[in-house]
Amino acid sequence: MTSKMGTLQRHLRGAFQRSIGIVLSILAGVFVGSLIMIWYKQNPVEIYTLLLKGAVGSQRSIFIAMQRATPLIFTAIASTIAFRTGVFNIGVEGQFFIGAICGTFVGYAFALPTIIHLPLTLLAGFLGGAAWAYFPTIMRQKLGISEIITTIMTNYIATHLISYLTNYPMRASPTTTETPPVQATTRLPQFIELTRHWAKPLGKGTQAHFGIFIALAVVAIVYFIFKRTKLGYELRMVGISFPFSEFGGIHLDRAFIGGMLISGGIAGLGGIVEILGVWREYKNLFATGFGFRGNLASLLGRQSVIGSLVAALFYGAMEAGALGLEWAAGIPRQLIDIVIGLIIFFMAAEGMWDFVKRIKWVRAPEAARKSTQELEV
Amino acid sequence: MAIAVEMRGIRKEFPGVVANDDVDFAVEEGEIHALVGENGAGKTTLMNVLYGLYHAEAGTIKIRGQPVQIRKNSDAISLGIGMVHQSFKLVSSFTVAENITLGAESRTGIFLDRKTIHDNVVEISERFGLKVDPDARIQDLPVGVQQRVEILKTLYRNADILVLDEPTAVLTPQETRELFGVIRSLVHEGKTVVFITHKLREVMEISDRVTVMRDGKMVGTKVTKDTSPRELARMMVGREVLLRVKKDKAKTGDIVLRLENLKVRDDRDLMAIRGISLEVRAGEILGVAGVEGNGQRELVDAIVGLRPVVAGSVHISGEAVTTLPVRGRRETGMSCVPEDRYVRGLALPATVEENLIVTGYHKAPMSRAGLLNSKEISNYANEAIKTFDVRTTGKDVPASTLSGGNLQKVVLARELSTHPDLLIAAQPTRGLDIGSIEFVHQRIVDARDRGTAVLLVSAELEEVMSLSDRIAVLYEGEIVGTIDAGKATEDGLGLGMAGITDEDEPEAKEAGHD
Repeated sequence: MTSKMGTLQRHLRGAFQRSIGIVLSILAGVFVGSLIMIWYKQNPVEIYTLLLKGAVGSQRSIFIAMQRATPLIFTAIASTIAFRTGVFNIGVEGQFFIGAICGTFVGYAFALPTIIHLPLTLLAGFLGGAAWAYFPTIMRQKLGISEIITTIMTNYIATHLISYLTNYPMRASPTTTETPPVQATTRLPQFIELTRHWAKPLGKGTQAHFGIFIALAVVAIVYFIFKRTKLGYELRMVGISFPFSEFGGIHLDRAFIGGMLISGGIAGLGGIVEILGVWREYKNLFATGFGFRGNLASLLGRQSVIGSLVAALFYGAMEAGALGLEWAAGIPRQLIDIVIGLIIFFMAAEGMWDFVKRIKWVRAPEAARKSTQELEV
Repeated sequence: MAIAVEMRGIRKEFPGVVANDDVDFAVEEGEIHALVGENGAGKTTLMNVLYGLYHAEAGTIKIRGQPVQIRKNSDAISLGIGMVHQSFKLVSSFTVAENITLGAESRTGIFLDRKTIHDNVVEISERFGLKVDPDARIQDLPVGVQQRVEILKTLYRNADILVLDEPTAVLTPQETRELFGVIRSLVHEGKTVVFITHKLREVMEISDRVTVMRDGKMVGTKVTKDTSPRELARMMVGREVLLRVKKDKAKTGDIVLRLENLKVRDDRDLMAIRGISLEVRAGEILGVAGVEGNGQRELVDAIVGLRPVVAGSVHISGEAVTTLPVRGRRETGMSCVPEDRYVRGLALPATVEENLIVTGYHKAPMSRAGLLNSKEISNYANEAIKTFDVRTTGKDVPASTLSGGNLQKVVLARELSTHPDLLIAAQPTRGLDIGSIEFVHQRIVDARDRGTAVLLVSAELEEVMSLSDRIAVLYEGEIVGTIDAGKATEDGLGLGMAGITDEDEPEAKEAGHD
C-alpha cells in the first residue's frame, strides 16, 4: 500500500490515457492527409497553416467555427445518446430536418410573444425529431427490424417529404421552394445583430447565433441525465448489456424507446435552432450532412457526452478552416472530410494504439487494474 | 539433490497492492513442485518474476546455484526457463511447427529452413512423448493439444525448468490425465516442473513437494506425501476450511415458492420443463440435482420471469406471479444468483456500484422523483462491499477489474442485501476457488437461517448434497423424485440423474409434488 495515487491524479491519468489514442489518431489522419495533398502537388504545410488560420486565426474565424459547430453539437449529442443506449441512430440526419420543418411551421404560422413563441417553436422541433425517431424504434421493438436499416430509410422519406412540403403546402411564393420566414418573435439573435453598434462588434461577417447557448445547455442537461437520473442509469445499463439490465428488472423497451426519442428530439431541436439562428426560413435541404457528421463526431468523441461536445467543436473548427481554405486557395473543402474520415479510421483501428500503452508512463492505471485482478480471496 | 531455482526475498508491488512480499521459493532439480494458493495469492506474479516478465523491486534469484540477473524475458529463456501461460500465446493460423519455432527459426539465408524446422519438431515431440502433427494448424486443434504445443515451444528453446500456470483449468478430465502423463515423462527426462494450481486433488496426485502462498506471502513448503488436502486448504486460506458446510436443522415456515404443473419451452422451442410442481418453504434449501441440460436453465428463467411459461403457474408468497415481469417478481421478495454471472449477473464494463444498484435504483431511498440519490447509493455500495468482503480498490472501478470470486460476491451482495423471501441460486460456485466457495455456501445457509426460501440449482452433486435440506432430481424436464437430504446417497441421486428410477430405490420414488 505504499504507492497510493491521489484521486485527482488518477482521474487525470485516466483522461490522459483515454485521449492519447485520439490525439495519435488525429496526427495519423493529418499525416496521411498530407500524403494525399502531396499526391495532388499541394504543399501540406501551407494547407494546414491556412486551415488553422481559417479555424481559429481571427475573431471572425472563431465565430464561423462556432456557427458550424452549433448544429453539430446537437447531432453529436443525439448520436451519443443513442449509442450509449445501444442503438445505432443513423436517422439523426432525417430527424434534424423533420425537427426543422416542424419548428419552422410553428415559427411562421403563429404570432405570439417571444416568451411563448420561442419555447413553443423549439418544442415543435424537438417533438418533430422525436416523432421521426419513433417509427424505426417501434419497428425494431415490434417487428425486430434493425434500426440501422430503418433509420437510413426514414432519412430518405424525410428528404422527400420535406421536398413536397416546401414545394406545395408550405411554399411562400410560386417562384421559390422556401417556406415563409419565421416570425421575428421566435428568431435566435445572431451575435452581430446585437453588437452591431458596439465599438468592436462580435462575429462580424458571420451568422454565429445564440443557438450555441441552447446547444451548451443541452450538453449540460444530457450530462446531468446520464450521471444523476434514473433514466440515465437505465439508458447506460441497457447500452452496456441487455441481459444484465433485463435480469436486474430494467424495462428494456421503455429504456430503448426513451433513449431513441430523446436522441431524435435533440436532433430535431438542432434542426430548428439552425433555422431560427441562421436561415430564418426553410429552404429545401438547407444544410445536408449535419446528421451524418454528428454520427462521426460522436464516434470521434468516444461516445461520451463531453467527448462529443469537444469533437463537435473540433469538427466545426475544421470546417471553418476548410471554408477559409476554399476562399483563400481554392482547395475543395471536401478535403477536410477526407482528413476527418482518416482520423476516425485510425481511431477505429484501436488495437494499433495498444503498443502506446506499453510505454511505462502511459501504463500506470492499467497496472493498477491488473493488480486488483489478482486480489481474489 | 541440487537446487534448480532459488528465489530469496522477492518483493513485487503494484500500485495499491503488494503482490509478492519477501517471498522465498526453492525448487529442486528433477522434481514436480506444486505452487498453490488461492486466486490472487501471488503465484503467477512470482513466476512472472522468474520468467522475466515482471521486474521485482527486491530479492535475488539463483539458478542451479549461480546468482543471476533476470532483466528480461530472453534472459530467463537463455537460462533454460520456460513458461506456459494460462492463456496460450499461439498464432492460430500458423502450423504447429511454425508456432514452435517462431522467433527461433532455422534459416538458410533469408529463407526459413522448413525441413530442418519440421524435423526438429518431430524429434523433440518424439523424445518427450508429446505427440502432435507438426503440420496441423493451431486453430484446428483441441485445447489439450494446443497446450502440448506450448510445452514443446519451451522444450525447443532448451528449457529444463518448466513453469505451467494453471495448466488444468482449461482441460477435460481426460486431457488432464494425459497432461499428467506428459509431466511425468518430462521429469523422467531430467526436467524440473513447477505446477501452479489451486486444485488440491491435483497437487496430491502429481507433485513431489508443494509450496503454499497466501496474500503475497510464502506460507510454507511441504513434502506432498507428508501432508493432506485438509492441511493444505488451511494453509491456503489461513484458517480451518469447512470442506463440508456446517448447518443446523432447518426451521421451516410457510410455503414461499410454489410451482404448479409448470411447462416451459427452451430456445429451440422444444419442451424443456414438462410439468413440474414443487414447493419451497421459508427457511429451507431445496436442491435441484441433475445433469446439465435437463431443464435447469429454463426452470430458473421461468421462475425469475425471463422466459414465458407455456402452462402452469408460479406463486411467490401466495401471489401468482406467472405473468409478472422481472421487476414485479423482485418486488414480491424474489432474488436470484444467476448461472451466467458474466452475462446476466453483472455488467462488466459498468462500475461495481452500478452493478450493485440495478435491483434497487428505481425506488427510495436510492432515488426519488427520477433523480438518483448519490449519497444513499454510495453508502449502500460501500456497505455492501464491506459486508460481503468484496476485494476491490473502490466502488467506482469497472467490475471487469475484479476476480471471479469477488464478482460473485458482488452478485451475492446485491441479491442478498435486500433480505429476500426467496433466493434462486443457480450454479452459485461454478469456477470459484475454495475460499470463495466456502463463503458463498455460508451466505446461502445464513440466508436460509434468516428464513429465506432457497432453491439451489447445481450440477455439483457434492454441493447439492451438502447444502440442501431436501433434494429434487431433475431429469429431462421432470422431477423424478424428491427426498430428504439426510437420506440421499450419491449413488441413489446419480441413478435418478441418469433417469433410472429403479423400484429398489424407494426414497427416490417419494412424491415430487404436493
